[in-house]
Amino acid sequence: MSDSSPVNPYPILRAAHLTKRVESGERSLTILSDLALEVFPGESLAILGQSGAGKSTLLGLLAGLDAPSAGELELFGEPLGDLDEDGRAALRAGRVGFVFQNFQLLPTLTALENVLLPLELAPDGDAEAKARDWLGRVGLGERLDHLPKQLSGGEQQRVALARAFVTGAELVFADEPTGNLDPATGERIIDSLFALNREAGTTLVLVTHDRALARRCDRCLSLADGRLAAIVPEEVGA
Amino acid sequence: MTGPRSQRLRHAVRLSWKGLGRDLRAGDVRALFVALVLAVAAATMIGFFLDRLERGLTRQAGQLLGGDIVLEQSRPFDAALRGALEDAGLTLSDQVDMVSMVSHGDAFQPVSVKAVDDAYPHYGVSRVDRGTGPEALASGPARGTAWVAPRLALLLDLGVGDRLRLGRAELEVSGVIEREADPSAGFGSFNPRLMVHVDDLDATGLIQPGSRIEYEILAAGSPAAVEAVTSRLERLRDEGVEVRDVRRDRPRLGSALSRADRYLSLAGLAAVLLAGVAVAMATRRYVERHLDTAALLRCFGARQADLVRLFALQLLWLSLAAAALGALLGLAGQALLLGLLGSLVTVELPPPGLMPLALGVLTALAVLAGFAGPTLLRLRRVSALKVLRRELDPLPASAWWVVGVAGLVFGALLWLYSGDLVLAVSLLLGGGLALAILWGLGGLLLSALLALCARLPRRGGSGPLQALRLGGRQLARRRAASLGQLLAFSVALFAMAMIALVRGDLLDAWRDQLPQDTPNQFAINIQPAERDAFADALNEAAEARSALYPMVRGRLTAIDGRPPREAVPAEARGDNALRRELNLTWRADLPEGNRLVAGEWFEDAGGATREGDRASPVPISVESGLAERLGLGLGDLLTFSVGSATVDGRIASLRELDWDSFRPNFYVIFPPGVLERFGHSYITAFHLAADDRDTLRRLVREFPGVTLLDVEAILERVREVLAKVTRAVELVLGLVLLAGVSVLYAALTASLPVRAHEAGLLRVFGAGDRLLSRVQGAEYALLGLASGLLAAALTELAAAGLYGGWLDLAPRWHPWLWIALPLGGALLVGVIGQWLSRGIRRRAPAESLGLLGET
Repeated sequence: MSDSSPVNPYPILRAAHLTKRVESGERSLTILSDLALEVFPGESLAILGQSGAGKSTLLGLLAGLDAPSAGELELFGEPLGDLDEDGRAALRAGRVGFVFQNFQLLPTLTALENVLLPLELAPDGDAEAKARDWLGRVGLGERLDHLPKQLSGGEQQRVALARAFVTGAELVFADEPTGNLDPATGERIIDSLFALNREAGTTLVLVTHDRALARRCDRCLSLADGRLAAIVPEEVGA
Repeated sequence: MTGPRSQRLRHAVRLSWKGLGRDLRAGDVRALFVALVLAVAAATMIGFFLDRLERGLTRQAGQLLGGDIVLEQSRPFDAALRGALEDAGLTLSDQVDMVSMVSHGDAFQPVSVKAVDDAYPHYGVSRVDRGTGPEALASGPARGTAWVAPRLALLLDLGVGDRLRLGRAELEVSGVIEREADPSAGFGSFNPRLMVHVDDLDATGLIQPGSRIEYEILAAGSPAAVEAVTSRLERLRDEGVEVRDVRRDRPRLGSALSRADRYLSLAGLAAVLLAGVAVAMATRRYVERHLDTAALLRCFGARQADLVRLFALQLLWLSLAAAALGALLGLAGQALLLGLLGSLVTVELPPPGLMPLALGVLTALAVLAGFAGPTLLRLRRVSALKVLRRELDPLPASAWWVVGVAGLVFGALLWLYSGDLVLAVSLLLGGGLALAILWGLGGLLLSALLALCARLPRRGGSGPLQALRLGGRQLARRRAASLGQLLAFSVALFAMAMIALVRGDLLDAWRDQLPQDTPNQFAINIQPAERDAFADALNEAAEARSALYPMVRGRLTAIDGRPPREAVPAEARGDNALRRELNLTWRADLPEGNRLVAGEWFEDAGGATREGDRASPVPISVESGLAERLGLGLGDLLTFSVGSATVDGRIASLRELDWDSFRPNFYVIFPPGVLERFGHSYITAFHLAADDRDTLRRLVREFPGVTLLDVEAILERVREVLAKVTRAVELVLGLVLLAGVSVLYAALTASLPVRAHEAGLLRVFGAGDRLLSRVQGAEYALLGLASGLLAAALTELAAAGLYGGWLDLAPRWHPWLWIALPLGGALLVGVIGQWLSRGIRRRAPAESLGLLGET
């Protein structure tokens, strides 16, 4: 999906006047201020920002993991402001995938069991076959029974990729997916991520400070001082 | 609606089952499982053991009476009653008791005749010398023969093979009875025993209208069979039949059993409490580890209710599996206990019942809900955002909330086990208060110790002082966790100390109760003229003796002018005190072993009533138990018929006395100057060495009119029972100590990841094996020392409350606790901690530093 123009005119994710403030004693700190954003099905969007810019906070809000202080947010056409935490969770179920910087694999579960985890929330007779299939796609078909500590960092992140896509998610959020990996491994992970994204026709929203990674996305936004600004991916510096 | 919902539930069950299987790989789940297994094993093992032992011992105590139930009346029992008892599953044995005269040649002697049937005895054996030395016989004399007591043989110069005459029948002496299978039977009779077969009674012609004969049915059967006739027994009591059973009529054995019962229950509770603390410690780690799982599941779309259901089901399977395994271990454990007791448990024990099993399962669920519940609820509050920001852990459950819920559940278990709500509530309140004090004191103590360590000189090297200083600093660095461990260890050491302490004091009390010189002989019918000479003879020969008490037989004929059976509560109408003559005595001062509980002892009352002024009743003192049973109080007027005269007494005081003392005890005591005018004799009790037959013979020879009763057999039986219970108590103590060690193990295991991280850091900074070992050792020892000090304080407080309130023991101070517990605590925590940490010390720093957040 290299074309930047949306195929579907209805955004899968829409934010308007999105603001996030945190109270610290008597002081109020504004992390995100009056943001507007639309993400369309099938596109990949990078949100670029320095450490502490509020990227993860924004990702949390967009995924409905947190509630904004003000503003409107729609996910799959549903206003998140009308939903409580359980409602937002139900909206994510099976439709949203996540990739985290620190992989977030459960240490006592094998690779296969980690991938199975999101499938197990609802009855699914083919769950195990799906999980095996996705682990095969990320090249870990032979490492199904390995515990995370028996896998390298890159392999762990590949397990996390399989877990993000296994449910057939429409939208995948990635938070600094290469942040804990060396550049060469990070590169291979990014290749896998985009390959899977293309293959599944998934919408991808990732936050990163890695400009090389951002350049590979259809669209790029820069987050600074709590505000978003559009930048052309090709113009993102090294 | 039912379809999708039940589908969701089935899915949740499958998921939780699968999750549990995966979770068993984690150390904390294994620790949780082990703690739960231990709680159930302890509860069921003690439950099974106690249940069986108590039923078995009760049955053995039944041997003293001759049956589980003994019915007695002055006319033969009808067939309908027999039928009802047999239908309930009881086996019956008939017995007839009477006083008669027996002759041999020209010599005559009043005897206490016991006629028994072929079913005699229900329990135990008699020791009878049939001419070839004493042997154990599980039967009575055959038809046409008689067994005689050694005293009767002595008085009538009888031997095996001689013939004696009882009424119109002539019987052959076939044995001399050393010990009857049911030794307490006939205890009230002062004449020597003659035992015959019941079928021979007709031939004697002694059963005539007006004869004083007591007919007895001795019934034996299962507790269920006894229970089945309970209401019938109550009706029989109302009809005036004397009904006896073990607990009601043998306070001697009853009180010992009841204390042992309470002790074992207490030990069971202590084990459950300890396992609960272990569960609480393991749960903290379990929850910490599952916060990530919960956050991830929230990310993937799980609702709070899904999380609650998932974890609740997982833990339910865990506790059910633990309950099943614990119950099996409990069952095996009680069999092992009984095996270890070996020949001590000679009684035939009934098979294990289902109740202890149900209690065990209930205990597992209650312990999990109470000790782990509040901590587990933290999982429900996990925010999905934690996957992005690790610091967003939900706040830990308030310690007071955790302790409060655990306390309530433990209180409910306490109530369930003790059956005493007031005790449960007061122990709970006391425990809560003690814990609050402990918390404060623990904080202060920890601060003081750490401040002390910080002041230690900073010298190089890895000397003990350096280790102590560093160990103290490690503890200070995670003060909250250290305080938590301190409290957990204190509670564990407290529970262990408490059970050990109570066991010691309980055994002491039992020993005190039956010292070596406990009277084993009673002398009655001592005439006033013989009194001084008899006392002199005893002073010379006996190892110990009680005072000589004058005794007058009198029947209670009126209470406040009304017939006694009308004046007393309905349930007391069959009371022995109303049916029989009571032994009355007089005395100027309170007898030894008696304690006034109400009113005042009479002062110079004798002078006022010396003339026997019938119009003004004399003050009397009544035993408090009798007063309670008959509904009597201070000021009530009791009328006694003594011989052909009547004596009125107004209750001036109530006394508690020790029925277990094997000394002469009296329900009613008059002041001097009232009863002297009636014919009276004296009674005393004394101790003779078991093999001192010469003294007995001399007393019989010199005082032929005095009746000597040998109660050594009863005493021996009581000692035997206490010895068994003592062994059980000691074994249960071992179990509690094991549970205590498991808490230390669980708590230390739970803290290992943090300690591994710290050890890894110290290693990075250049600490060697030796220093690490010393620092960790110092840390554990400091924790153990402080815990021991706190536990000593808690034990003293709790013991003082428990002794008076539950175990009926006098409170005492235990100085050794203050030395043994801190030192023992330091040693125990130090050794277990060092042992558990040996793996940490072997790890490379990189591995240790990566441990946090994993298994």
